Amino acid sequence: MDLFLQQLINGVAVGMGYALVALGLTLIFGVMHLINFAHGEFFMLGALVTVIATVFLGIPYGFAIPIVILSMFAVGWVVDRVAVRPFLIKADGATTALLSTFAISLLIHSGVLGVWGPAPERVEGVPGVLRLGPLHITNQNLLLILFGLALIVGFELVLRRSIFGKRMRAVAQSSYGALVTGINVGGVQSATFIMATVLAGIAGALVVPVILFTPAMGQNVVINAFVIVVLGGMGSIWGAVICGILLGVLEALTSIVLSQQVASILIYGLMLVTLLVRPNGLLARGSTR
Amino acid sequence: MKVNRILTIAAAAGALILGAGVTHVAAQQPIKVGVIFPTKTLNGKVGVQGAELAVDMINASGGVLGRKLQLVIYDTNYSPVEGVAAVQRLIDQDGVKFVTGELGSAVALAVLPITEAEKVVFVASGPKHPDVTKESNKFAVRLNSTTAMDAGFFDKYLKARAGNGKVAIISENNDFGQLTVTGFKKLFGDQVVFADFFAMNQADFNAIVANAKSSGAEMVCIASSNVEQWGNILRLMETTGFTPREKCLMPGLLNLGGIKVAGKAAEGLFSADIYYPGIENDLNSKFREAFEKKHNQAPEKIEALGFEGVWVIAQAIAKAGSDKDTAKIAEIIKTGSWSTPRGTVTFDGKGQASSGELLPIAVKDGKLILAPK
Repeated sequence: MDLFLQQLINGVAVGMGYALVALGLTLIFGVMHLINFAHGEFFMLGALVTVIATVFLGIPYGFAIPIVILSMFAVGWVVDRVAVRPFLIKADGATTALLSTFAISLLIHSGVLGVWGPAPERVEGVPGVLRLGPLHITNQNLLLILFGLALIVGFELVLRRSIFGKRMRAVAQSSYGALVTGINVGGVQSATFIMATVLAGIAGALVVPVILFTPAMGQNVVINAFVIVVLGGMGSIWGAVICGILLGVLEALTSIVLSQQVASILIYGLMLVTLLVRPNGLLARGSTR
Repeated sequence: MKVNRILTIAAAAGALILGAGVTHVAAQQPIKVGVIFPTKTLNGKVGVQGAELAVDMINASGGVLGRKLQLVIYDTNYSPVEGVAAVQRLIDQDGVKFVTGELGSAVALAVLPITEAEKVVFVASGPKHPDVTKESNKFAVRLNSTTAMDAGFFDKYLKARAGNGKVAIISENNDFGQLTVTGFKKLFGDQVVFADFFAMNQADFNAIVANAKSSGAEMVCIASSNVEQWGNILRLMETTGFTPREKCLMPGLLNLGGIKVAGKAAEGLFSADIYYPGIENDLNSKFREAFEKKHNQAPEKIEALGFEGVWVIAQAIAKAGSDKDTAKIAEIIKTGSWSTPRGTVTFDGKGQASSGELLPIAVKDGKLILAPK
């Protein structure tokens, strides 16, 4: 029982990391109808900024997160201006933009690899462990869960209660309809892209003390994020959050009785079954639309 | 008629001068050595650094047969497809007759038929698969030890340290990991209370460490070639209060990069290897000092193997007196005895290198030390 509960805690922490990455990915798809291949690299850049801030500049971890937010805002703005917006405004632009984000992904990955090198880097996050009898959770994982929850709730409030959120949902439903009603569709899409980039960066900053920084970390995480987005429903915010956490929990719990590799096979099998039975995803109704 | 004779003499003299010039240029052309590694990985990068240092030292002392040595480096990305492309480019485009490097067995096994068919000498650095060296392939040798060679020494050592306690193994999921876990289970039988694999790109080890902890293992062994993975596993073990009596890393994997990642969680970790920076011999002192001067850190096994590949090729060419006959040079490598940073290296009939028994090593105060046998 102790092991079950311990793995449940581990799974929620891992799943929250997945959820935060998948959230941005599904947001971009929901509002912009774009599959962003560079999303994993934004996650990696968020982690890299954390490394630079904490390890090389000696800034405390807590202060590094605002730096990550500002840096990723800038990254999102530049990528949107250079590789997304110029294509999205054209007819059938989403396809070209998909390819351009793929190019951006390769560019960022190769750039970091070339400048930084392949060496891993360790980041000291929040030290200490919270012990509850035989169970434990590292304070960093606790921060990841709590900060992640706060972000998701805050994001939901923005989406449901603010004018900007209403505009986002309008654009997600129909960009043409939104345009007719006077909404600046391009502006909303750009803001969405930047917001998703910042989310990925924050996820990187929260996860890097747990998993270490490597230039390949974005490529590894984005595959799971795509699985979550497909399972939760393309464009579904709560689908991404719930399926992200579920995936983490499922991975951890199945590892008690099965090899981790077998558990992964089950998860990818689940993705295939979901596509066959519910092509729009398990939770498609809760989308931004 | 007189004019014709003058022209003929002038042409002959010109040809002689030109010929001499061409011969002189040929004599000065560098000897190219192809280097293949997964250069975008940490291990691949340091392997290249070792090879480059060998070239620096050889060229600084006059080169080989009066010619400079020149490296042509390509990335294999741990991919057999990219490895084959790299070697074909080395042979067809760069005119290379000597290739060294690589860490992955799959890549080495893929490129071996090409180097053999093209009569190119291949000195494999890191692959551990037994089929990398064969009696029938006259052109290939391997510097690293095989898993079976490691086991020959390490199994006894491991058994002694484990005693009758419960043991666990956490391993990466590839051919090396599978072989290691099979051998481990065979060695310890019922003492094995936990064995699981993780993916080569896995970054979170909370679940696997929690499972290992709950098994009650008194000795935990890790089979992982990625420093970020084994370093992180150790770190997580310590953070979550999992402190088994013994922690070991399977042979050939312990290095300072992982110790840096693991921090104090690496204290007491033991392993064994064919090389460690503190080996006492003249060449290793020079190698270590030059490497530390150039890269501000001590060289380790992969660096030493990268160095050794180029070093042995260069010595063999010098011994052959020419770089033309690759069959002769390959034969010289296989039958010779070579001074390298790890000591005297010899090859068996298959082309497998050996420098004697593995050295037991451990981590103390964040440094690698020789452990008592």
